[in-house]
Amino acid sequence: MNLNPLESPVRRLGLAVLFAACTLLTMSGASAAATGAGKIPRLANGKPDFSGIWQTTSAADFDLEPHSARKDAPPGPGIVEGDFIPYLPKALEQKKKNFAARATEDPRSKCYTLGVPRGIYYPEPFQIFQRARDLTILHQFGHSVRTVHTNGTDHPLVPNDWWLGDSRGHWEGDTLVVDVKHFNDETWLDRAGNFHSDALHVVERWKYLDPNTIEYKATLEDEQVYSRPWTINVLLHRHREKNFQLIENYCYTLDYDQYYPPKKP
Amino acid sequence: MSRQSKTLQKTCWLNWLAAGAAATIMIAGSGSALAHHAFAAEFDADQPIEIKGVVTKAKWVNPHSWLYLDVKDRDGNVTNWGFEFGAPFSLQSQGLTKTVLPVGSEVTVKGYRSKNGGPFGYSVTVALADGRVFKTGGAQDAPSATAQR
Repeated sequence: MNLNPLESPVRRLGLAVLFAACTLLTMSGASAAATGAGKIPRLANGKPDFSGIWQTTSAADFDLEPHSARKDAPPGPGIVEGDFIPYLPKALEQKKKNFAARATEDPRSKCYTLGVPRGIYYPEPFQIFQRARDLTILHQFGHSVRTVHTNGTDHPLVPNDWWLGDSRGHWEGDTLVVDVKHFNDETWLDRAGNFHSDALHVVERWKYLDPNTIEYKATLEDEQVYSRPWTINVLLHRHREKNFQLIENYCYTLDYDQYYPPKKP
Repeated sequence: MSRQSKTLQKTCWLNWLAAGAAATIMIAGSGSALAHHAFAAEFDADQPIEIKGVVTKAKWVNPHSWLYLDVKDRDGNVTNWGFEFGAPFSLQSQGLTKTVLPVGSEVTVKGYRSKNGGPFGYSVTVALADGRVFKTGGAQDAPSATAQR
């Protein structure tokens, strides 16, 4: 019987595991180096580069506020700082009506553009393409395209009522701060009927927590609906699956699929 | 492949696209809310309307803008009417922005009533108190004649 611990089968197994772990560590270190060894990706101008495909894992789109499980929603702790949205009394009545009618009245189920910030925490991926002068955000849902201008320009003097508002960004250190306004009142914030008016003003804060995680914060202000500004906070994760890509989801074309290709008379 | 046959192929492709578009409009015309750009789906060419009112809201939203007016009848009852306008970009290109139609301003809309009989219509022109008149319609199948009451 070999009692030398250095020669024991257990010890040998231990060394093998250690060796494998070291190899793995070295390999993962190499792949981390490819993205900057824990450093966040940056553009040539030194600003953080958010290019990539992102998605939240939260249940925020089902209800921004804390909620227990329902037939049509998994439970979730909510993403509102302070838990609840500070509705004005009349707006709260409207929210309750929306909630009761959510199965048919959610603009999402009519394939309307999701709006801001709903498109960000909606449970489908979106892709960011970034240049020094702007970010293009492409949502899988409806293929909506949003431009965040980062070239120092301000909101237009004569605005329309855009589905995604008008987005103007600037940098505060490594945080991208985006001012969004000039919305219409046709979108909701989630499937629970939380809503806004066309006076909505959103200030987003995009910040890397690590090379594969963005901390996304948005403060919503709307004097016609809320008694004070309120903030949501959600994490966005980078899709790293091999060959991951956005897939067409125009949504509103689904009803027409049955007519194509055209049948012979 | 010759240039001619390439052109032919392109023409066929365009025809096919046009046929597809026509089919889509026919399907859409069967009465769904998705029937945007089609006049006949929602509005009645046999019911011209001319109505004066005070602007309560202007929505410059794609694909159609809307203008809402408070309209007083002979008995003094007020009804809020909504009129569909063209896309914001087409209105803007004629100088018709939201700032031209501020809340509280008096306007006259000529157009056609909705088929559902509600206080809605399709606007062909909008006239301002200062005499300026803008063409507002965007639907390709809409009657272009100015409505007469």
